[in-house]
Amino acid sequence: MLHSLALYVGGIVLLAGSLFVLMAAIGVLRLPDLYTRMHAASKAGAVGGGLILLAVAVLGQDAAIAVRAVIGIVFLLLTTPLSAHLLARASYLAGYKPGSETVADDIAINAEQNSANK
Amino acid sequence: MSAELFIDWVSLASLVLLALALLLSLARIIIGPTLSDRVLALDLLTVVAMGFIGAIAVRTGLTLYLDIAIALALLGFLATVALARYILLRAQRGENA
Amino acid sequence: MNAAFLVVILALLWAGTTGSFSGLNLLFGGVIGGVAVLLLRQSLANSVHLRRARQALSLLGLFLYELMASAVRVALVVLRPDMNKVIQPAIVAVPLSAKSDVQITMLANLITLTPGTLSVDLSPDRSVLYVHALTMGDRDAMIADIKNGFEKKVLEVFE
Repeated sequence: MLHSLALYVGGIVLLAGSLFVLMAAIGVLRLPDLYTRMHAASKAGAVGGGLILLAVAVLGQDAAIAVRAVIGIVFLLLTTPLSAHLLARASYLAGYKPGSETVADDIAINAEQNSANK
Repeated sequence: MSAELFIDWVSLASLVLLALALLLSLARIIIGPTLSDRVLALDLLTVVAMGFIGAIAVRTGLTLYLDIAIALALLGFLATVALARYILLRAQRGENA
Repeated sequence: MNAAFLVVILALLWAGTTGSFSGLNLLFGGVIGGVAVLLLRQSLANSVHLRRARQALSLLGLFLYELMASAVRVALVVLRPDMNKVIQPAIVAVPLSAKSDVQITMLANLITLTPGTLSVDLSPDRSVLYVHALTMGDRDAMIADIKNGFEKKVLEVFE
């Protein structure tokens, strides 16, 4: 009984994870500029991948597998924001400006002030 | 519906969803328009591939695949870091030249 | 209440490290944990480490909740047909109270994974973190949200 309950829960988690990954892909395709796309890829992507690993942990029914899956989740949650941040920073410094929809850009304002002060 | 059958269907559905995600991020890689967009889509592609491996691990019951998924996550992270550095370096060199 | 919580954690850790989550093994872990807590009762009573651990756990809980919420929100935004009207991207400067490398790193990572925000860059003098927001409503409210939510907790845990 408990065994099949774990199977049902794991299956639902697996499906939810795949859905989130799909949302991330839709977001990367639909959103207007690089920085907004990064939101979709880093958040929905990390949650989706994490949920899939969690599903493997639940469905594996083995502590050793569960521990490895949890390590994988922690790793994913640590590295995804890091790579998104690195990419955002590199792109901004390389001169990829945010799209025309953007309402405010404090970096540009501060950079202007700094160059005016010099 | 028995639990085993349920898992069978759910993992199949997950594979279909992930295949769609794969196609969508592939579209973003092709249309770009900038290098950063492509790198971002590649990063997502690694997550999709991880998802594939997870779903296949569930389907086949071979949890050894989990190690591959973790290694792939590491590889994807390193690739993104290296490419971000490349973008930065390329921009600096462009300014100097 | 506190001690019971600690015993449960210790029992789970025991089961995790011995690699078996069977009822008997959990019970055994619980017994060992109970004895350990009983022996260390004096030093645990007002220990800094225990408080730090509780704060870290509360930060983890808040983080996991916010992470799920942010993923759902991004997914909902992405699925809307009138998406371009809903999103209001902006890069906002958030003044930092956090000073050390660890604090700033943790904060930047947490911001990236929470609703509608993504850390882009740190100013050269490390006093301002530039945050990209997906749907910016009110600038002051967003800054206050980061400062009172995550930054306070991060400062508590990593002094």
